[in-house]
Amino acid sequence: MDELPGPFPVGRYARKLQEELRRRARVRLVGEVTGVSRSKVQAYFELRDAEGAVPCAIWLDDLEKAGLPEGGLRDGAEVVIGGGPDYYPGGGQASPSFAFRATQVRLAGEGDLLARLEALRRQLRSEGLFELQRQLARPRLPKTIGVVTAERGAARRDLLAGLERRGWAGRVVWAFAPVQDRRAAPAIAAAIQGLAATPEVEAIVVTRGGGSLADLWAFCDETLCRTVAMLRVPVISAVGHERDSTLIDDVAAVACSTPTHAAEAAVPLDCRAAREALGRDAAGLRRAAERAVGSRSRHLVSLARGPARALRRERGALNQKTREIRAASERGLEGRRAFQRRLATVVLARAARRAAGAEADGRREALRRAQVALRAHEPERTLERGYALAETPDGEPLASAAAARAADEINLRFSDGRIRVREA
Amino acid sequence: MRLTCASAMAESASEKPESYEAAVERLEQIIDRLDSGQAGLRETLDLCREGRELVTYCSAELDAVSEGLEELNLDELAAKLERAPADAS
Repeated sequence: MDELPGPFPVGRYARKLQEELRRRARVRLVGEVTGVSRSKVQAYFELRDAEGAVPCAIWLDDLEKAGLPEGGLRDGAEVVIGGGPDYYPGGGQASPSFAFRATQVRLAGEGDLLARLEALRRQLRSEGLFELQRQLARPRLPKTIGVVTAERGAARRDLLAGLERRGWAGRVVWAFAPVQDRRAAPAIAAAIQGLAATPEVEAIVVTRGGGSLADLWAFCDETLCRTVAMLRVPVISAVGHERDSTLIDDVAAVACSTPTHAAEAAVPLDCRAAREALGRDAAGLRRAAERAVGSRSRHLVSLARGPARALRRERGALNQKTREIRAASERGLEGRRAFQRRLATVVLARAARRAAGAEADGRREALRRAQVALRAHEPERTLERGYALAETPDGEPLASAAAARAADEINLRFSDGRIRVREA
Repeated sequence: MRLTCASAMAESASEKPESYEAAVERLEQIIDRLDSGQAGLRETLDLCREGRELVTYCSAELDAVSEGLEELNLDELAAKLERAPADAS
């Protein structure tokens, strides 16, 4: 310890510290005012955001010069202050204190808030917090819906009207919370957590009507948005009007432009249409069952009639075959008869031919015998044996002596020639 | 995924659907299958029986959110839920 410089008198060190701090650059800070208090000459407050806070002080003269509206410096107000760090060294009786000495102050404008919102948005997106809720499954027909909203507000009425249009009349669990001031964000977060901790709640709607970005600033609260992102129950946001965009819209499962749309997102199913569709499905099932059984019954009946029909068909076919066979048989018989006739003719012809041949042979033999017999009786044969035949000159045989005497001229025919004989 | 095996359908028919949307999805599968005309008699009858059970389930789910809006505060619901186990016992 002795190697350090000093020891210095603390009062002198305190004044040196004051000088050091006052030499630091003057800057502007933006944040939410909390813990406002006043003395006779100064106003004190803290300026904070989700990451930290700085104690601030402003002389009442400077505050008056700033021209804030009545009550402008109040808890929950978003302000921009200009100044630098200061240190009050205290004194023999007075306590020392540190404060950011503000010499200028104004209410934060849209631009300031948008810049802060954009920075927060980048941060949460980079952490992947925008995707978590969107990956949750949302029931199409929840029985219980949790709703975080102001107890007295148009959003509540619009949401109920939207649910009624859906034909949905389940259970709505209200978790009322302030929706505009510095108490709003923690109260909304607590309400959402309370609903999410109730197993019956299947979806949570967070809604409020329109307003300036400053009015809606509670819904850009980093802690609230981180809470929503981590929930396992889907959150449907409907904050402000269509043009308003708050950070809770980015981390919610669904962001809607109006409470009516939020009702449709919370109950995706149009209950009336679903009931009609269900009726059609039921009728379709009945028809399918009747069709399946009916068509098969008809088929069965058809099959049951099949044997008789098949018998008739077979009997008809059999009769036809019988007729054909009979016809064929008759054709066959006739053919055979014709064949036999042809055969008989041929056989008879052959027999006739054969018979004719035998007869001819017999005849030839008889002829031969007759020829032999005839030749035996031929006069030439007799003549050859030395006999002579008496004939007229005309060749007529003279078989008796009387005939010979009557004839004028007789010829004698020998086997080797004729001679004329004259009566002497 | 389309179940085509009649026994698998019979098994699934006996189970309570996970949710209304699961029941409707299954019902649509059944109607598609029946409309295709590909199902045999046994499968058709099983599908029709399963479909009727799903229609009954879906109808009951719709009835549950159609009988009149119930509004209560979170505290009231919490108190109701705390009483419920005691009532049940």
